[in-house]
Amino acid sequence: MTGLVTVLGSGAMTNTINGILKSDVMLVIGSNTTETHPIIGLRMLEAVKKGSKLIVADPRKIKLCDSASQWMQQRPGTDGALINALCNVIIAEDLEDKDYIAERTENLDAFKEAIKDCTPEWAAEITGVSADTIKDVARTFAAGERAGIYYTMGITQHTSGTDNVCALANLAMITGNLGKEGAGLNPLRGQNNVQGASDMGCNPSFFPGYQKTADKAACDKFAEIWGTPVSDKPGLMATEMPNAITEGKLAGLWIMGENPVISDPNSDHAKHAFEQLECLVVQDIFLTETAEIADVVLPAAVFAEKNGTFANTERKVQRVRCALIPPGDARDDLSIINMVSNRILGNGNHGYSNYSDPVYHTVAPLASEVFDEMCTCWIAMAGMSYERLEDGGLVWPCPDKDHPGTPVLHIGGFPRGKGYLSAITWSGPAELPDAEYPLVLTTGRVLYQYHTGTMTRRSEVLEGSAPSAYVEMNPEDAADLNVSDKEMVRASSRRGRIKLAVRITDRVKKGLVFIPFHYKEASVNLLTNDALDPQCKIPEAKVCAIKVEKLEVALAV
Amino acid sequence: MTTVTLNINGNEIVAEKGLSILDVAKRSDITIPTLCYIADKPSENPCGLCVVEVEGQDELMRACVSLAKDGMVIHTESDAVLERRKERLAIISETHFGDCKAPCNLTCPGQINVQGYIAHVAKGEYEEALRVVMDRNPIPFSVGRVCPRFCETRCRRILIDEPVSINHLKRFVADWCMEHEIDLKIPKDRPTGKRIAVIGGGPAGLTAAWFLTKKGHSVTIFEAAPKLGGALRYGFPDYKIPKDIVDYEVNAVLRMGINVQQSQKWGTDFTLQDLKDSGFDATFIAIGATVDVPFDVPCTDKDNVFTAVDFLRQINEGRKLDLGKRAAVIGGNNVAMEVARSLLRQGVEQVTVVYPRARLEMPANQRNVKEAENEGVQFLLMASPSGLCAVPDTNNRLKLDLIRMKLGEPDKKGKRDILPIPDSTNSLGVDTVISSLGQKAVAGIMGGGELEAELKIKANGMIEANVRNSSTNIDGVFAGGDASAGSKSVIQAVVSARRAANNINAYVMGCEKDPADDRFNFSRGKGFDDVSLANFDGIGINLREKMPARPPEVSTQDYDEVKLGFTEKMAKREADRCLKCGCTAFERCDLKRLDIDHKINLNKTGMGKEPVYPVDENHRAITVDPNKCIFCGRCERSCEYDALEVRAESLDDKGRPVGLVIDFKENCVSCGKCVDNCSTGALNKKSRIVPIQSEEIREVKTTCPYCGTGCQMILKIKGQTLMEVTADPSVAPNYGDLCVKGRFGHNFIQHPDRLTTPLIRRQKGMPLEPVKWDEALDFMGQAFSKILGEKGPDALAGLSSARCTTEENYAFQKFFRAGIGTNNIDHCARY
Repeated sequence: MTGLVTVLGSGAMTNTINGILKSDVMLVIGSNTTETHPIIGLRMLEAVKKGSKLIVADPRKIKLCDSASQWMQQRPGTDGALINALCNVIIAEDLEDKDYIAERTENLDAFKEAIKDCTPEWAAEITGVSADTIKDVARTFAAGERAGIYYTMGITQHTSGTDNVCALANLAMITGNLGKEGAGLNPLRGQNNVQGASDMGCNPSFFPGYQKTADKAACDKFAEIWGTPVSDKPGLMATEMPNAITEGKLAGLWIMGENPVISDPNSDHAKHAFEQLECLVVQDIFLTETAEIADVVLPAAVFAEKNGTFANTERKVQRVRCALIPPGDARDDLSIINMVSNRILGNGNHGYSNYSDPVYHTVAPLASEVFDEMCTCWIAMAGMSYERLEDGGLVWPCPDKDHPGTPVLHIGGFPRGKGYLSAITWSGPAELPDAEYPLVLTTGRVLYQYHTGTMTRRSEVLEGSAPSAYVEMNPEDAADLNVSDKEMVRASSRRGRIKLAVRITDRVKKGLVFIPFHYKEASVNLLTNDALDPQCKIPEAKVCAIKVEKLEVALAV
Repeated sequence: MTTVTLNINGNEIVAEKGLSILDVAKRSDITIPTLCYIADKPSENPCGLCVVEVEGQDELMRACVSLAKDGMVIHTESDAVLERRKERLAIISETHFGDCKAPCNLTCPGQINVQGYIAHVAKGEYEEALRVVMDRNPIPFSVGRVCPRFCETRCRRILIDEPVSINHLKRFVADWCMEHEIDLKIPKDRPTGKRIAVIGGGPAGLTAAWFLTKKGHSVTIFEAAPKLGGALRYGFPDYKIPKDIVDYEVNAVLRMGINVQQSQKWGTDFTLQDLKDSGFDATFIAIGATVDVPFDVPCTDKDNVFTAVDFLRQINEGRKLDLGKRAAVIGGNNVAMEVARSLLRQGVEQVTVVYPRARLEMPANQRNVKEAENEGVQFLLMASPSGLCAVPDTNNRLKLDLIRMKLGEPDKKGKRDILPIPDSTNSLGVDTVISSLGQKAVAGIMGGGELEAELKIKANGMIEANVRNSSTNIDGVFAGGDASAGSKSVIQAVVSARRAANNINAYVMGCEKDPADDRFNFSRGKGFDDVSLANFDGIGINLREKMPARPPEVSTQDYDEVKLGFTEKMAKREADRCLKCGCTAFERCDLKRLDIDHKINLNKTGMGKEPVYPVDENHRAITVDPNKCIFCGRCERSCEYDALEVRAESLDDKGRPVGLVIDFKENCVSCGKCVDNCSTGALNKKSRIVPIQSEEIREVKTTCPYCGTGCQMILKIKGQTLMEVTADPSVAPNYGDLCVKGRFGHNFIQHPDRLTTPLIRRQKGMPLEPVKWDEALDFMGQAFSKILGEKGPDALAGLSSARCTTEENYAFQKFFRAGIGTNNIDHCARY
């Protein structure tokens, strides 16, 4: 997000899901879409059936590759080099959209200078993708009238995550693909409401609506809305919190609906830090691994037990409706926040109703009242109301009550004025394979599981379909290690080790292994690297160096 | 866009050019039935139901493939069209093989969705199981203990080993919910402003009051006794239904919001006219049958001679009676069995039931007879009492003269009367005689007032009530339960009262009554002889769970309950024995719906008689029963992944498949869209084992909680249980598509691991312990306030969640920013 905000002025998916059907070229990079976003994957396959060209860039031979016209199997962590090389070809072969660049972008010269040496041949060395393929892909992409880029964590979860996103933005801009249907730059959000949580300022340096905490005017505005002064001091990012705890700066932490003990890279470190807190409060639907070490556990409600909204990956605000009563004394998260707020701050409900529902045990203010307050904070949602959401969602920006919403961003201009072409120099991943840890590990999801599995692993069909962790390994590597399919092995990195089964497959190249991150009994984030992107502090979960050993070898040592 | 103008059923319609007649009709809200329609993908083996008559055309035309043309005059409901549709439906139905409803369900007088609650038990959803029962029977604790179990006699499991112990499961779910203090939170309709009086607080009165209250009426029960329960309290002794269970049951019913007036005896304390005068819009008489038929032999006026109901009432009120050592019970009905067993518990050493016919002819349920016998009750059969005039022996207080009986010649109906055997007089020395010769509602004429005098009483002492609408001869006065039907089982009283409640609701609201369940039913065989044993291939013998009970020598020493109830494990094992005969696509089956709409009589036109294909359970999420497949091909054409193939070796002379294969290919991603598109129950979600029948379903539109696509889903909710997830084909962004997680990934909601109470760790190193909210909030509040005071706002931080709603995230960051005063707020997936 940081990357996109810098270069465009807004950090969200620019286009719509169903716009995919109108594209004639799709570049899917670092997204195993059919497994992580099955319905978006489905639209891509439909688009292919309609004649659209699909380009896949992925270290693994993911399912989309079967339908792709071109597949680039880059080495993990080399996406930046690959993208820069695509830009290099487009500029070198004069395929760029000159009018668009002139009219809509700035910093062209510095950008050109930065990619000047990023030739396909240079990139082939780094990425393992042949120069010819890179050239072909660049030409296909540039030729598309409507070419869309789709990416996920495969691009961002790197020390170079922000640069990768800026590089993709460059590619989209020089081909004139921002601001029209069926094109755009589209980060696919991995979780149901990443967008909504981001929109509403769950971020140490942004108030709701991406208004900077460092900005005096924004501080004044929120001080007025909330009736209390607000701090302009930047807060801690999630990834900085463990260290802040061990340094004694942070003593109390309230975690709502996350399980960082499993999901954070180098998760052992996070766990040790949390254990040193004076008070850890975890609010969740199950006793997660993080809740197990908490001092207070608050029982929360699932999506079907609450009212509210989620904003999907295409910025569409859609209703969540209460269908069931939470079990026992569990309460919906908003009511819990309201109860805690009343207890600690004793601030009552200024301006809100005092309505509490006896059946659903909700504690005011209600979701609809909070929604209305949210909409007063941010012009992009100012035109929304539950009433309007009744007939389907609304896509922000939706600045007034008659505004239909804005499915495609950046038509005619960017929020920051001109799009900024970034001069990106490629830097490799923080950790590379060596003699001791010779394999490159990348991580991801499988279709049947989701995140740390708190929900999916308790659903029979899903758990039955993908019940245990595995490491995908190329037949050659497996032969070198003398391990057979389904054999249990030990995988270890400089940070930790886990035991899991081998799955021999040509989905991965020699030297690369893949482990899904859903399984706590073989939690891959014990191995991953918590090195951070210098700008947005995202950890490099998608690439690190590991070794895999036969169990008897591992145990003998 | 060019348009065409056409006429359908007399309506002028302007439509976009290029659409089929079916599409045009759909957009104009004119329903043309079809079983094979999938938008833009016409069937290769059309169902032929969408035919319409187009004026000027000799042949009927299939609306799905005929273009709507300018000037067409179309009839969708003409005689010729209906004729053809019926013909097609009959042909399609002829090979459809399965049970719509299970035999247990059809046999239950209460028409309770038996298979439904058993399936809930199998899934561990006891609360929801009880809701299914309560949908039709609000007194499950009692019925679960004393039901004659008509259902179990038709259980198909009999063809393998033994019937499922259905009634014990009902009792289990009721008892489980009591033990776990479950509030079922059954919703009521809006208040209607109507007031209804119910006379009698027994099974029928409680039932009627419950259903009428649910309908939004204000109900008052008038009960003659000091406590509610009627026969449940004063008829059944504690060893059958313990009093605390009766109390719980009564309170559970009353919690619905029912007024009660105790110790108010009709005819003495109030009259029907009083009720009318005090503004009741209707009255329901449910006084039961508590007047014993007199013991009509000489000398019954002696001491130590009782009638059954009177005796049981005294026992149930806890009176101590001097009953001596030997007792005779006259009569062979269910009440007689309870009298006999109570006598044993009163310390009577020898209890003899005297009955003039053979044992199998006793009106009592044979299970009750057996239970009495197990406890030591003796039976003197083919004997009839002739008087009590004889002088007793010194050891006894009474001498019961008897005469032996024999069977006479069969009459025209084959019934054999009993005849006394001449000179077979004998006598039985006893201390107590209790007659149980049947009960009636009213002795002679009902007293009280003019309306009471007008009330028609039948010759047998029952109140006359119209079987169709439960009304008596007095306007606004209804009767039901034993008071009109005579002594029957509790479940029959419940059924009678439920129907009466429906009738009373229609009367006071001036509306139609709720329609009865349609009798239309595909069946794998009505009688056991009609059922092909091929249905049960591969099902091994698995005998029923044995109900734990106290042995007779112990149980007859007191009034404690004899049967102890299933444990949870036993209940689950027993529920797993259910053969799941009824169709779990019951509520969504298009074939059944259209057959009913077109009044297809399967008994005339035929249906499948035996299974041709094995049921296929190989798919992880989907059960395939090709016997129900009508080869409409909707599944195959709806699959977005081309991962499903439906083919037939050949077609028979009527176009039906022979050698049918329904094949999921390797690339199937288990999204389940095919099931949602199945026109029958040929494809079923494995997780959907609970058939939905009359129970109310709420459809709640919401957003999927998994990835960021934001698919719109429809949650089908029954009671407080998510039954399944579907999607609306017309709603963005997913247009009816969902992935495997969206359709199948929601079991976690009802998972037993859910956190249901706050937990705190009082000190580091100690375990988490459950506490109430107040304490948890105090604990957290103190800890946070301490940190805030000592270290300042930046020593606190919040991590919010991309899973939570936007409102929750907003409120969370606002708490930290505006409340605590820090920007230490982030979420784990913000990148």
